[in-house]
Amino acid sequence: MEAFEALMAGFAVALKPINLLWGFIGVTLGTFIGVLPGVGPALTVAMLLPLTAKLDPTGALIMFAGIYYGAMFGGSTTTILLNTPGESASIATALEGNRMAKRGRAGPALATAAIGSFVAGSIATVLLTLLAPVVVDLALKFGPAEYFSLMVFAFITVSAVLGSSTVRGLTSLFIGLFFGLIGIDSQTGQPRFAFGVAELLDGVDVVVLAVGLFAVGEALYVAAYQSRLSETIEKIQGSILMSAEDWKRSWPAWLRATAIGFPFGTIPAGGAEIPTFLSYAVEKKLSKHPEEFGKGAIEGVAGPEAANNASATGVLVPLLTLGIPTSATAAILLGAFQNYGLQPGPQLFQAQADLVWGLIASLYVGNVILLILNLPLIGIWVKVLQIPKDILYAGILVFATLGAYSLHQSWVDLLMLYVFGLLGFAMRRWDIPVGPAVIGLILGPLAETQFRRALSISQGDATVFFTQPISAGFLAVTAALVIVPWVVRRWRRR
Amino acid sequence: MRRNAAEVALSLGVLALGLGVAGVTATLPSEGGYAGIGPNFIPAVVGAGIVLLGCWLSFEAFSGGWRGAVPDDARERGEHAFHGAGFAWISAGLFAHMALIGWAGFVVAGIVLFACVARGFGSVRVPRDLAMGLVLSVGIYLFFVKLLNVNLPAGWLKPLLGTAGV
Repeated sequence: MEAFEALMAGFAVALKPINLLWGFIGVTLGTFIGVLPGVGPALTVAMLLPLTAKLDPTGALIMFAGIYYGAMFGGSTTTILLNTPGESASIATALEGNRMAKRGRAGPALATAAIGSFVAGSIATVLLTLLAPVVVDLALKFGPAEYFSLMVFAFITVSAVLGSSTVRGLTSLFIGLFFGLIGIDSQTGQPRFAFGVAELLDGVDVVVLAVGLFAVGEALYVAAYQSRLSETIEKIQGSILMSAEDWKRSWPAWLRATAIGFPFGTIPAGGAEIPTFLSYAVEKKLSKHPEEFGKGAIEGVAGPEAANNASATGVLVPLLTLGIPTSATAAILLGAFQNYGLQPGPQLFQAQADLVWGLIASLYVGNVILLILNLPLIGIWVKVLQIPKDILYAGILVFATLGAYSLHQSWVDLLMLYVFGLLGFAMRRWDIPVGPAVIGLILGPLAETQFRRALSISQGDATVFFTQPISAGFLAVTAALVIVPWVVRRWRRR
Repeated sequence: MRRNAAEVALSLGVLALGLGVAGVTATLPSEGGYAGIGPNFIPAVVGAGIVLLGCWLSFEAFSGGWRGAVPDDARERGEHAFHGAGFAWISAGLFAHMALIGWAGFVVAGIVLFACVARGFGSVRVPRDLAMGLVLSVGIYLFFVKLLNVNLPAGWLKPLLGTAGV
């Protein structure tokens, strides 16, 4: 019941007119930017971060919650109408959603995505409300050794276990960890890898890395390999309303997808990719109309979209309660907290209860705003989709450079942005995942701090990570995740 | 066995980065206080990790190519062949922007960047692109400087944009 009271206090914060306004602006802007083809949720959040530089933390974070959800919804609109999944989590939606649009059923596809996102997002937020205090109680017992081992677990799952190549995932992670080392060592004040450059002493900013990888890298890639391809935007014909049959087929899919998506979001399993595909597979198996799959089955949109949103909310559990980001977008959100000198984690729940619960309450509000705002405005989002690529990317880059430049008013940050852009281009071209690099940049310095704190407490005795039961447990699970699949593969090959 | 030049280059690049990190780490102090490890410990771990990953990538590149790589042929990826001009125009725009923003100002740099990027995506309507770049840059400038109090350089256009900028 304690959580209930805290949540009510949170609603008092979230429903203040000014915070409602920030939520409203966040959802609108997030959708607007998220709809743009090639702009995923991570880039949307990174690009809009400079906008909140002068806001108070509560207002800014509530706006970010809105941006986060809005970007997600915007992405699904683009996927359904344009068939260019902006991110891996949208691929499952593209399979059925775009085919529905081609058959003139774009309206119901968008509607089931929007309403499904609302249902899944709201249920997942209830689960977040119930789960967060439990995890916080547990996390309060964690010392530096436990935190460090947990972070190692997160590093390995996001980079080595998932994706097409273990070595490329780990390479991305370690490059991110290296970027995280640049700047002044927080424990001793020793400058590292800064080479006397003032801009580097502050460290690599997550906005510069994310915008470089996602915006500049994407622009270079699309110009080089895709600018001469033609695209068709599907028109929205007929009613956008779902028929009774659509409802009957959608709602069980939403609920099943929520059950799949939320748990996957809470563990460091690389974001929404697995749950969306899992949900797609489940719906295909359970559907009474399996023959429609591949031709535009509504369950194939309803499920993955709901799973996507449920896992996006699930990701906030480790982010808020432990301070551990498990997706690139979450890492950038953590950067937003750090801009205000806030470190998410169990202590924040105690020290800044109003802020944290205000943020959680604003997730409920954000979901409602999203639902009432977006379907009626669908005509505007379609217009946004029709912006030609040359103008689109020119605008994105003008905006992207602004975020980097406003950090120090220095061209050095712009040069870094370009270098990260080249890196992003190469990573995209040669299939090296970018998420682990962003997570490594943000989480690396935190892991180093915990590591050195743990060793300070144990007077330099490194066995502490293996003798503390919880810490040893995390490390054992991590080792199992790496070794078991490898052994199984070897054994099968024989 | 055909060797992929790009994969070899990238693998060796990762290896070189790791060696560079290790080299710089050697110059960092190891003074550690109670923990017994100093500010050079984690950099050493990261450097060693990057060296190992560089070796692993090189091994894959020299023994039949990276495992599970995307196809090298652009058509197999559903894309067109590398279009160097597009890549070059965007790069040129970003460098021009870097050079201009400090003294010519945010708006002028923004116009040039906008026009170059649009050109990189195949636009040949230069006056339109310059005009759109102007409208967008002035809009962003006024919004950030007047409304959000973020400082952006007015540069050459200072007499027109007022005194709010630097």
